[in-house]
Amino acid sequence: MPRILITRTGLITAAGAGVDPVLAAMAAGRSYVPTAAEARQRRSPWPIVTLDPADTPWPAGKLWDNAKKYANTAAFGAVAAAVQAMAGADPVEGATAIASGVVMAVGCSGSDELNEAMGKIAVSAQTDPRPLPKLLYDEVPDFSYIRGIPSQIGQFVAIATGFRGSNVAVYGEGGAAGLGALAQASRLLRSGELDRVIVVGVAPPLSTTMLVAYDREDRLGTSAAPGAGPFDAGRGGTFPGQAAVALLLERDDAAPVFGADASPVELVACETRCTPARPEAISAAAGAALSRHGAVPDVWWAHGSGSVGLDAEECAVLGPLAAGAHVTASKGTVGNAFECGGLIDVALAAESLRRGRTPPVGLLVKPDPDLGDLEFVVGGPRAAASARTALVTSVSHGVKASTAGAAVLWGGAL
Amino acid sequence: MSTDPDTDGGTRMSELDDDEIVITGMGVVTPIGASVADFWEANLRGRSGLRFEDRMDLSQLPCGWVAGIIPDDLKDAVRERSGTGPGGAERSWGDTLMHDALDQALADAAVTAPPARAAALVWARVWPGPSGSFPQDYAPHLRAQAERYQAAGTDPVANAEYLADRALPPELTDVSEFQAEVAAKLGAPVLGTRLEATCSGGLRAVAEAARLLRLGDADIAIVTASVSRSTPYVLSQYGQLMALSRWKGEDPAQASTPFDARRSGMVINESAGAVIVERASHARARGVERFHAAIGGWGLAVGTGHVTAPDVTEVERVIRTAIDRSGLTPDDIDTVNAHGTSTKLNDVTEAGALRRVFGDRLAEIDVCAVKSLTGHGSAASGVVETVAAALTLTHDIVPPVATTTEPDPKCGVKTSLTPVERPVRTVLKSSFGFGGQYASMVFTKAAPAASA
Repeated sequence: MPRILITRTGLITAAGAGVDPVLAAMAAGRSYVPTAAEARQRRSPWPIVTLDPADTPWPAGKLWDNAKKYANTAAFGAVAAAVQAMAGADPVEGATAIASGVVMAVGCSGSDELNEAMGKIAVSAQTDPRPLPKLLYDEVPDFSYIRGIPSQIGQFVAIATGFRGSNVAVYGEGGAAGLGALAQASRLLRSGELDRVIVVGVAPPLSTTMLVAYDREDRLGTSAAPGAGPFDAGRGGTFPGQAAVALLLERDDAAPVFGADASPVELVACETRCTPARPEAISAAAGAALSRHGAVPDVWWAHGSGSVGLDAEECAVLGPLAAGAHVTASKGTVGNAFECGGLIDVALAAESLRRGRTPPVGLLVKPDPDLGDLEFVVGGPRAAASARTALVTSVSHGVKASTAGAAVLWGGAL
Repeated sequence: MSTDPDTDGGTRMSELDDDEIVITGMGVVTPIGASVADFWEANLRGRSGLRFEDRMDLSQLPCGWVAGIIPDDLKDAVRERSGTGPGGAERSWGDTLMHDALDQALADAAVTAPPARAAALVWARVWPGPSGSFPQDYAPHLRAQAERYQAAGTDPVANAEYLADRALPPELTDVSEFQAEVAAKLGAPVLGTRLEATCSGGLRAVAEAARLLRLGDADIAIVTASVSRSTPYVLSQYGQLMALSRWKGEDPAQASTPFDARRSGMVINESAGAVIVERASHARARGVERFHAAIGGWGLAVGTGHVTAPDVTEVERVIRTAIDRSGLTPDDIDTVNAHGTSTKLNDVTEAGALRRVFGDRLAEIDVCAVKSLTGHGSAASGVVETVAAALTLTHDIVPPVATTTEPDPKCGVKTSLTPVERPVRTVLKSSFGFGGQYASMVFTKAAPAASA
């Protein structure tokens, strides 16, 4: 069976471009989650980590100028993350391009860019004499429908990378925050169907309606401050965060034409499971992933959403499997990117394995004693020079969303 | 001519190698039937499920006045069978369709005991958005949106406060409840993947399921997809794209005429399909004696040339890949189950690719196009048409394209107004979608090695 290597990454968060700013922020104890006061000032109903549109630039050129009308916010993020991941790589052609594919992790509940337009149209529809279909035909901005199609976003990534093998999108909300997409990519490579796959996830701005829906599924955090983060005794819910991420996966037996990274990390396993009850799903996914590796993790990048219930479930189920492992999580620093949070953690975990340092959990001050005797990283980074194996876990948001995912990374000698 | 797959369908499992991937169960809910038997009978008789979309006023749109609509009596039957509605589960119509198709497929495959380990579930649901699944849902939705806009404008805080104590439609959230329900139904965890729902999504889902099985990641896989999106919004948007049929004649059945010179666009529908896929060894071990079709190879591609327009080179690529990975040559393909959307460009492009692959032999290959009767169900079409492909193999009958009375010489594919009875060992099936999506797959009656 070929090894699957993570050879390039692209990451765009509120911390900036790349994994370095996020790891630096975690190490320094800096969080990008706005305080309640800042959220109120921004007229945001909940503290939400936002991206600056300038951080997701659209490529220049005639082709891209023409394509822009089909692009929504998610497309901007996806293309920017993919371009960042592939920076400096030579263009692919011919058989190499055909052996290279795209897997997207997206949400169908993404940004409602029509909010304002549709509000006005809805008001006018109450008195407008035109039949509704005609009114919408006339007034809804052109290409709105196409802009929301996930494969359209993937096609932009294919254009940006030159990958023409295939393009598929996996919904991330129900797919363990992007780990479903990673598992999908892994299968494309393990089967020999493709030599390399770029997995791109996007968490665009959520509409207010979706935020309300998510809050009903599992309470969103209302007050971000030290002591309100994941695993803290004072945690009170997750903080949504916008982000975009790209991971290039390559088979080690294929020519690693994009292997820019001198020390790639191996994706040993990635599994997702869904059961009627969430704890069983978490256990099944982690058990399946770890069984492919056969070693206990040195570092556990937990989902760590900050949800009172989910954090407790995650620790209760996985604590015994992660005994002695450093436990960290990114969501207190860059927020919960629902559709792709798992992919972000894979990128961060891979880099922290290379560096031999595990960063602390953002906004975690006093670990909740009810979560068990776990090695939460608090306050500052922990040296982990001998760490080789990282477990990354993700869980879909909401009590009815009982899907969990687990990835195992190997940072030792290949 | 037999039309009952329950009594004479299927090929004996004993004829297959253990590693063959086979379809052992199938279910459909379509405008032409809410059971596999009814669906197949309608295919053979050329009975259309298209009708004028009179649930909303489409008269001022430039196209799209006909739709494939599941008749009300079938809708009621589906709701009752799936336990949805008053006194039952609260589900979106899209989920209801998937549950019913899935229940049919599980029963057909005689899946009664929980799988020994996680079952794969690959699914695609065309999301209608918060506006609901039916035309009649849309006016109340828009009225509510107007009231909200007048009360809260675009201010997020005001909107959140406005929504705080209001009901949200079941279509809004899209987390994994369906997956969890399937896990409960099976009594086992599911390895679930919700794929995008473009027009190639259903066939791609079948390929993903087969790959999961070939890798040994699961012993049995479920594929299901549904669509229900006939709303003023969706029709208006397809109208902007000018992708829908402009048929204005008296008979709505003539609105979808794949490969016909008169074709003018596609007809959207509501539908669902489901198939159960497993290794022959697994099926045999649980006592299954017959299967509907074996899955050969598939080809998948992304084209980067255009957002919506198909590319003949990419279509050719996925067809050749599917045939090659089946261990076959073009000469081994007996019949084609086309994407056949009835749009000007798609059909001539698909036909052009078939001509590149089959050459002069294309004129002899019987081609069927299920969308002529059902309309286009986006991702669901790939699964529904997989069922038709399997039935073609099972019964050695190629369904007619009953609405194609004036075959377009520019397409040059062979369609028939009546069923064609002939030996069918292999079926080539294709699906294409927005975003440069291309998929083809070969279904076989027996092991590819035996037929190669």
